[in-house]
Amino acid sequence: MILLVLLLTLKVPDAQQFVGSPKGTPLAGAQLDTRTREVASLLRCPVCQGSAVADSPAEMAVNMKAQVHELLARGYTEEQILQYFELSYGQFVLLKPKFEGVNALVWMLPLLALLIGGAIVAFKIRSLAAQPQPTPPGPPPPDADPYVARVRDLVSGEKQKP
Amino acid sequence: MNRSVLFIGIVIAAALVVILFVGLGKDPAAIRSPLIGRPAPAFALREVGTGRTIDIAQFRGKPLVINFWATWCGPCWEEHPILVQNARLLQPNVQFLGVVFQDTEEKIQGFLQQRGTAYPTVVDDRGKTAIAYGVGGVPETFFLDANGKIVAKYSGPMDAGIIQENLQKVMQQ
Repeated sequence: MILLVLLLTLKVPDAQQFVGSPKGTPLAGAQLDTRTREVASLLRCPVCQGSAVADSPAEMAVNMKAQVHELLARGYTEEQILQYFELSYGQFVLLKPKFEGVNALVWMLPLLALLIGGAIVAFKIRSLAAQPQPTPPGPPPPDADPYVARVRDLVSGEKQKP
Repeated sequence: MNRSVLFIGIVIAAALVVILFVGLGKDPAAIRSPLIGRPAPAFALREVGTGRTIDIAQFRGKPLVINFWATWCGPCWEEHPILVQNARLLQPNVQFLGVVFQDTEEKIQGFLQQRGTAYPTVVDDRGKTAIAYGVGGVPETFFLDANGKIVAKYSGPMDAGIIQENLQKVMQQ
């Protein structure tokens, strides 16, 4: 009896303090297990090296997975559960970063780099195309230098001799 | 074209240097928690040894230092005498509270009997309190003001200087 009274006085932080009342339908059975695995795979295990809560055998991950299970059974939605963990751990706990703030750079920078690279290549191609084409070689100019003209005459005269 | 390529290179290199400089200048133990500035998640847990329920609401009116730890954690052993010493020094103006998770009550009692304590320690059975506080590894410590708002969080073993520094932040609130 004393133990029961004691247990009733115990209180652990509840998701309701963070994200309010459940907005979904309480799940049960196989559907609950499937959704638990799906939602837990979106959460990072805080004591592991980049593993999802769903895949980690660490006690912290097991506890987090149990909490996901309990929240889904109470009718909390995936969005509410992710928000609950994010409010405790920050965005670090989400395996898929949100498209906002500095995180947006993670999504935008590769695209931006591709666009800048493409613009540089296009600019280079255009500037090469705009350059004047080299003119084909025409007839040799008459020799202005009298020395060269004399040499040419002598050479052609030699060739004409039998 | 060569000048513009050089300019782009300098801009990219400068950006990388700034990012590295900012990153290296940060204290890896000073984790920015989303809970800072918010009311601490409420809990009432069983005290080790006495079995009575301790509700953090009963400590309203004075700063509260909540230390998450476990007997299997080496840095917690290192930190424990410093926490006990500071709790003795600062009571009754500051309250300290230990929250143990992923541990057995028998081991916790043995540890406290052997090494002494100066403040209550409660057991977080299924780690729900630790999860609500965003605890990743132990030791992690939260500093609450007299109204129950989280002012600072420290990850890793603390020395007296770190405790004082964080309590000063609480007093400035």
